[in-house]
Amino acid sequence: MRRIKAAIVISLLLLTVTACGIGGSDSQSLTVYSGRSEEFIGPFLADFEAESGIKLNIRYGDSAELAAQILEEGENSPADIFISQDAGALGAVAQDGLFKKLPDELLSLVPASFKASSGQWVGLTGRARVFAYDPRAVTTLPTSIDDLTEPSWSSKFGIAPTNASFQAFVTALRIIRGDEAAKNWLTKIVANNPKLFEKNSQIVEAIDAGQIQLGLVNHYYTWEVSKALGREINAVNGFFGPGDAGNLINVSGAGVFNTSKNQSLAHKLIEYLLTEKTQKRFVSETHEYSVLPNVITPSGQPTLKEIGAPIVNLDSLKDLKQTQELLIKVGLL
Amino acid sequence: MIAIAAIPLLYLIKRGSEIDRASLTNLLFRDRTIEIYTTTILLASIVLLFSFIVGSTFAWLIYNVTLPFGSLPIILSVLPLAIPSYVLTYAWISIYPGFKGFWAAVLVLTLSTSPYVTLVAVASLRRIDFTQVEAGRSLGLSQLAVLRRVIWPQMRVSLSAGLLLVFLYVLSDFGAVSLLGVNTFTRNIYTMYRATFDRNGAAVISLALILLAIFIIALEFRLRGRRTVIKSNAGIVKTHVKIKVGWLRWPLLTLIFTYALLALGVPFWVLTTRFIQNTENIDITSLISATFSTVIASFAGAILAMALALPLGILLARRSGFIPKLAESSILLTHALPGVVIGLALVALSSKFPWIYQTLPVLAFAYALLFLAKAVGSIRASLQRIAPILNDVSETLGITGFAAFRRVTLPLAAPGILIGFLLVLLTAMKELPATLMLRPTGFETLATEIWAATSISKFNEAAPYALVLIIIAAIPTFILTRPDKSDSQAQSEGLIQ
Repeated sequence: MRRIKAAIVISLLLLTVTACGIGGSDSQSLTVYSGRSEEFIGPFLADFEAESGIKLNIRYGDSAELAAQILEEGENSPADIFISQDAGALGAVAQDGLFKKLPDELLSLVPASFKASSGQWVGLTGRARVFAYDPRAVTTLPTSIDDLTEPSWSSKFGIAPTNASFQAFVTALRIIRGDEAAKNWLTKIVANNPKLFEKNSQIVEAIDAGQIQLGLVNHYYTWEVSKALGREINAVNGFFGPGDAGNLINVSGAGVFNTSKNQSLAHKLIEYLLTEKTQKRFVSETHEYSVLPNVITPSGQPTLKEIGAPIVNLDSLKDLKQTQELLIKVGLL
Repeated sequence: MIAIAAIPLLYLIKRGSEIDRASLTNLLFRDRTIEIYTTTILLASIVLLFSFIVGSTFAWLIYNVTLPFGSLPIILSVLPLAIPSYVLTYAWISIYPGFKGFWAAVLVLTLSTSPYVTLVAVASLRRIDFTQVEAGRSLGLSQLAVLRRVIWPQMRVSLSAGLLLVFLYVLSDFGAVSLLGVNTFTRNIYTMYRATFDRNGAAVISLALILLAIFIIALEFRLRGRRTVIKSNAGIVKTHVKIKVGWLRWPLLTLIFTYALLALGVPFWVLTTRFIQNTENIDITSLISATFSTVIASFAGAILAMALALPLGILLARRSGFIPKLAESSILLTHALPGVVIGLALVALSSKFPWIYQTLPVLAFAYALLFLAKAVGSIRASLQRIAPILNDVSETLGITGFAAFRRVTLPLAAPGILIGFLLVLLTAMKELPATLMLRPTGFETLATEIWAATSISKFNEAAPYALVLIIIAAIPTFILTRPDKSDSQAQSEGLIQ
């Protein structure tokens, strides 16, 4: 009994101490919900803190789970700014009217294809959908996503249907070709026996391990997996023909909440992330594309123009419901 | 208390009712839902069967056979409790990259759940009244008949409740099924949140999951039957004689060692090799602060759980009838729900109170709510053995009300409180989804740090955190396996629920 009591007293003390430690906040601080992982944005945010003197309380999470949490919090959200991995999650939050329109100085930095037409969020980095492949096993590269429905690709490629980036691609496919054609493509793909994965990185790992020859992923995963494994890997990126839905450019981006009392500080953070210096750093460190015109491209990658991305309004990527129903119908979800 | 346990349920009903009728029928009667129902029930049933076989065999061996190495066999067969199912799954995938699918999930989940059965079964074997066994023998019953007519009735209650726990565990597990690509309810609920931000649809699916859980809980209540087992004399301690099996003990021990190799050896080997490969990149400060955060949050959760559970445990031990049963089932139901649902329910509720939202107390409350059943079960079990007459006696001696509670009930409930505390502590350390949503901003625990490096290729970054998590979770697990120090009945009952 005594030991239990002692344990209770000690933990209550600790509880108070830490609660105070965490609760304390000064006026120059921002609460950031970040769906981008600490690895991808932590160092940038730390530099912003050092340069601006603004303290950041950062909450890392999965973009979609954070979006669900933000929708649940509604007007009560303690967050000032939401940084998301993809446009879909930003669109969902914007749709509920929780973001405030960003000032024109910020919006004008970024071309129209990388921001919300309502001005409620702005892109920070670009990420291209590509196919990663095993250069030793694949001799003829596919030029269109339709090639993957050919019998020669049967059981040799991987997709990650539960992953937000794959679903964004399917949404784009629906927009470009129409629902019926998108369903057709998916049905043929399913019939061609793809290996299903949870994450893009797992697809690249499987290519490296020789389990599959090709997979649909975002372009930076070849670097990420190679870096994590600490060695060169046996997987490289390839692009489909110009205009193919498989070349979709999605963005990570940010929006500022209506309820934030620190609007101007939040804008400062976005401005910092959009400076040419920071954008160059994104390109060299996370190997993403810059959303600014005329900033260098990731090493060894074609420029956005050369990729020939399909023209899709990123606002429409939040329309995941029908995409998901489609994926359910064809049996991928 | 029922109101507290009903928070997630009310939330789900509110969200679910916002959906329009067409999408509701579309959602519930699509082929996919039926497939998910089948997969979930099959997976849970097969895991239940296997962990029953593994757990009861090990318990029988540990209790009845003289095995070498003292208490090592029981420690080895229970220690896997300390390993989160997502870590175990990562470990398996990283040594065997093709590890995927239904049977892989059966393996991983059997490995992670059988310790619950083992603990419950050992504890209830220890409680068996051997004067009755001898009476049965002397009346001419065969060994088998003794097993069936004397031993089984005494074990049935806690075993069936232990198996219920296994079933609910499988229903709410996310880590293993998502990594292995098995479409259960929980995975589907996550997918809906992730892909569509569709909270209403996910709520409907969660309610369907709850229906399944209600059915299973009702089934278990029936199977459990009425508690009619009476000890002839608790005062007589009959020394239990173990069977000497000679050389056969080595192959028997090999069984336990094989299990330990699969459930402990694999993750430990993978984590240590990854750890060694990556020693220069370890962030010691964040490791220490994550450890500290994990300990604080899980301690606070365990204490709060015990504080909430004490009145309820007393009620359940003293009274039977509709209200206590309702309370018990509503607590059990929260156990079947994926953490993300409980997390979002508490986000919806607590974000209305900005001064408390995303603070340690709310996180502790979430843990208490998630694991209340464990706490209530163990308290009730240790109180149930106490004759209510003790309270009457204390009243005749002039000790009433709070004094009686403090001087009679509380000391008697103490072992149950301790065990419940350890169980909640252990499980809270491993909890992830609710932690992600409700932790104070910037407060990283070992589980969230592991989550941050959730791909196999980054697994070496997660390795130090996972190792520390397993080591600190092993401490309460280890205390649980020491029968001399803990109340075995409370232990078995606590685990159960």
